[in-house]
Amino acid sequence: MADNKDDKYLMDHNYDGIQEYDNPLPAWWLITFFGTIIFGFHYWIHYEFGGGQTLADELKGDLAIVKSLNPSTDNPDKEETLAALVSSDTAKTLGKEVYGAKCAVCHGPELQGLIGPNLVDEYWIQGKGKLVDIAVVVRKGVLDKGMPNWDNQLKEEEIQSVTAYIYASRGNKPANPKAPQGEKVVE
Amino acid sequence: MSEHNGNLEQVYYDDEIVKKFIMATLVFAGIAFLAGLLAALQMAFHPFNTNLEWLTFGRLRPLHTNAAIFAFAGNAIFAGIYHSTQRLLKTRLFSDTLSNIHFWGWQLIILAAAITLPLGYSQGKEYAELEWPIDIAITLIWVVFAVNFFGTLARRREKHLYVALWFYIATIVTVAVLHIVNALSIPVSLFKSYPVYAGIQDAMVQWWYGHNAVAFFLTTPFLGLMYYYMPKAANRPVYSYRLSIIHFWALVFIYIWAGPHHLLYTSLPEWAQTLGVVFSLMLWAPSWGGMINGLLTLRGAWHLLRTDPVIKFFAAAVTFYGMSTFEGPLLSIKSVSALAHYTDWIIGHVHGGALGWNGFLTFGMIYFLVPRLWKTELYSIKLATTHFWIGFMGIIGYYLSMVTAGITQGLMWRAIDAQGKLVYPDFVETVNQIVPLYWVRAFSGLLFIIGFFLMCYNLYKTIRSAPARSEPQPTEVKNTRWVVAAGHETPHRSLEGMATVFTVLALVAILVGSVIEIYPTLNMHKYVPRDAAIEPLTPLELAGRDLYLREGCYVCHSQQIRPLVAEVLRYGDPSTIAESMYDRPFQWGSKRTGPDLARVGNKYPDLWHFRHMLDPRSVVQQSLMPAYPWMLQKKTDFVGLRKRVTVLKNLGVPYTEEHLANADVMAEKQAAEIGKALVAQGAPEGVENKEIVAMIAYLQSLGQKRKANRTTQVGKAE
Ligand code: HEC
Ligand code: HEC
Repeated sequence: MADNKDDKYLMDHNYDGIQEYDNPLPAWWLITFFGTIIFGFHYWIHYEFGGGQTLADELKGDLAIVKSLNPSTDNPDKEETLAALVSSDTAKTLGKEVYGAKCAVCHGPELQGLIGPNLVDEYWIQGKGKLVDIAVVVRKGVLDKGMPNWDNQLKEEEIQSVTAYIYASRGNKPANPKAPQGEKVVE
Repeated sequence: MSEHNGNLEQVYYDDEIVKKFIMATLVFAGIAFLAGLLAALQMAFHPFNTNLEWLTFGRLRPLHTNAAIFAFAGNAIFAGIYHSTQRLLKTRLFSDTLSNIHFWGWQLIILAAAITLPLGYSQGKEYAELEWPIDIAITLIWVVFAVNFFGTLARRREKHLYVALWFYIATIVTVAVLHIVNALSIPVSLFKSYPVYAGIQDAMVQWWYGHNAVAFFLTTPFLGLMYYYMPKAANRPVYSYRLSIIHFWALVFIYIWAGPHHLLYTSLPEWAQTLGVVFSLMLWAPSWGGMINGLLTLRGAWHLLRTDPVIKFFAAAVTFYGMSTFEGPLLSIKSVSALAHYTDWIIGHVHGGALGWNGFLTFGMIYFLVPRLWKTELYSIKLATTHFWIGFMGIIGYYLSMVTAGITQGLMWRAIDAQGKLVYPDFVETVNQIVPLYWVRAFSGLLFIIGFFLMCYNLYKTIRSAPARSEPQPTEVKNTRWVVAAGHETPHRSLEGMATVFTVLALVAILVGSVIEIYPTLNMHKYVPRDAAIEPLTPLELAGRDLYLREGCYVCHSQQIRPLVAEVLRYGDPSTIAESMYDRPFQWGSKRTGPDLARVGNKYPDLWHFRHMLDPRSVVQQSLMPAYPWMLQKKTDFVGLRKRVTVLKNLGVPYTEEHLANADVMAEKQAAEIGKALVAQGAPEGVENKEIVAMIAYLQSLGQKRKANRTTQVGKAE
């Protein structure tokens, strides 16, 4: 490799046998180097002085879009629509599944109550045990008392189905029920 | 000094110290890699946490990272620096005694780390977990190293410093500055301290440190090693001297500013985030300057790639370096960071650098050095080649699986459906999706380790075949220290002859960015409006927070909600500067293996946490979080709380006289209340003085400390 085309750039120093060429800097490298510096400068000016969007603005815009996706503000929970689900086996099967996955940890696998209250007795803390009452608690939760809100966590049909499942399970007699909490509701 | 070409003189190089550091490198590589493998298995299959507190993921991961960075890479750097510096300067190391103090001191530090980290003594700052006595020891040993190195420079027989030495100089001064500034803390007891920085200050300083640990511990010294061993092994001149100059100075000047790219979209002030983005982009070309100089040095020697395993390792290492330093700026772009931050993509990025660049460069260097130091031939080139290919496949498998996992999970976290709801509101679902990739990662890591053990066997056989030790032989060198330049010297060339000036300039280069970024955040009050003030933690909650640090929960959980729409839907309002203003250390985290916890307070009843901590599977069936049964056995250290509160008060946390005098009583009272409530909900009796209650108190306080507006509802950002 004696006659390499770099040889004209060979420098005369030598460190422990290591020599150095003094090849010119590759053009594409120089372009990248100065390109990023120039870009960086503009980027900085844009965000600091040029009215570039702040993170808060960005979020505000995005939240507005998300809100506009969900325009319906009227209550989706109607006693009649829910009642139809109570007699639907598919709905109750889905509801049972959701219950097992999300609710059983707190309300017990048999709905007998554990961390949260018993759901099959006649006592209710929130509302009067109507379908709509249950759906609203599930949707909004009771955040101060440790009942999560599920409106962001579950899909619409899951919320309605689990409501139907709970409603249909009233009167079950699980072993070791949790002591009643709330008001007794007589129909 | 008269004109002459230098006298011939004899030097005895100290190769024994190099051999020692190589051995230590190998031992700790094994430990670091095996710890990594176990950690990878824990991610894939939680029972690998073994329910032993010392091996649980939160404590194992710091052990793995510290061993990989400071024990494996550290010892490798010292071996290479001590070997090459003597030859580049034509002199023996300054002091054999200092060399040995350096060696044994460093190994003792590693030993101390290996004992204290599993025991849970941790400052809770990533890559800086070691407690204050060990931090002091690190400082002292680093000073010993510096004195030994600069003493050697002073005694050199070569006037000009070769580019490798520039990188060593930058390493030594910068690591000293980084370590000391970041580790400043006030001790509470022998193994507990609180950092002097809080909240955004701590975040800024920590990632200035963390990022530059990568820059000045894992990059600059290795570039120096590359500049020595690559041309040596290839027997070719370095590609471009002027590229060395410009990429060196650009690198040390720019690197130091890039830390905030770890904190994009956090509550760090936005000007600092913007600086982080800008300087990270500007780092791309200087980094690639090193890659070009490494790879193009092989011009005219490409055939060695086929025959010489050392060149294979070097060429691959430099290529991985190029890959990582392209990916780094890419990840610093805000929109990319929004997707990738907190995911496994970052883990993949790190390992591309650590396994590919640091690992392979070290392996190449060791394959190069061992036969020369022991004066023999490598036992098997074939085995070394096999090591290369197995290791290479391991890295590729690791990298691809983690990038895929990261992007997959990142997309799932942000997916929003047509009704504006999260598509995957259940966090565990996004974790389970990538568990198969965790298996691929563990398997890939195993490949890398198998390669490493092949190397150990190969080196063992090599050393066994070495001739019996002979008397050290002198090397004949020409003393060119005082040679006067024949013709005109460029200014930089003259600078290369002035070691002290060079060192000072390097120091100035790294201080500019450091001061500009850190100084403004030190004045917290500029950023926290008075009415936004928050209440400090109660003593019991503080005890819980210290347990959170001890268990290393921050390696899996963040406490920083970014102002991104999907995050606000999932976790609540974005985190504010005020909310972490008393946090010492800050616990924003860098990885979300589990969900963000910044607003987990009040989300679940106490009993939920009680059961979750003891056995996460009992409340979240598919969780991979480790269980913490020992928190039900161990008692809360109530008595020590007064001292902790006092130290924090001295640091500026607004605790009252009542707190100082009665922290323990207050904590016991709060614990009794929680204990009673737990019993009422069905927990066993007698838990109130146990650690688990302190932990629950802390978790329930998260996001609940704003004086106004005590509870936040998910999804209400405005
Ligand atoms: C983290 C524990 C927890 C989980 C998980 C949980 N709940 Fe609850 N739930 C509670 C608590 C605690 C209450 C009592 C709130 C109160 O005191 O007002 C409650 C109350 C309720 C009530 C009202 C009961 C009454 O007596 O008024 C209903 C209905 C209910 N939950 C349904 C569900 C459903 C359906 C799920 C699953 C989608 C679920 N819960 C999941 C803890 C939980
Ligand atoms: C190996 C990683 C890992 C470690 C370490 C870890 N966690 Fe978790 N954590 C998870 C995962 C995964 C989840 C989600 C599944 C679940 O709820 O169990 C989770 C969930 C949680 C939750 C529920 C959050 C929510 O909003 O539902 C809390 C609280 C929690 N962890 C606390 C802790 C604490 C405290 C520690 C330290 C003692 C810790 N974690 C350590 C992985 C981890």
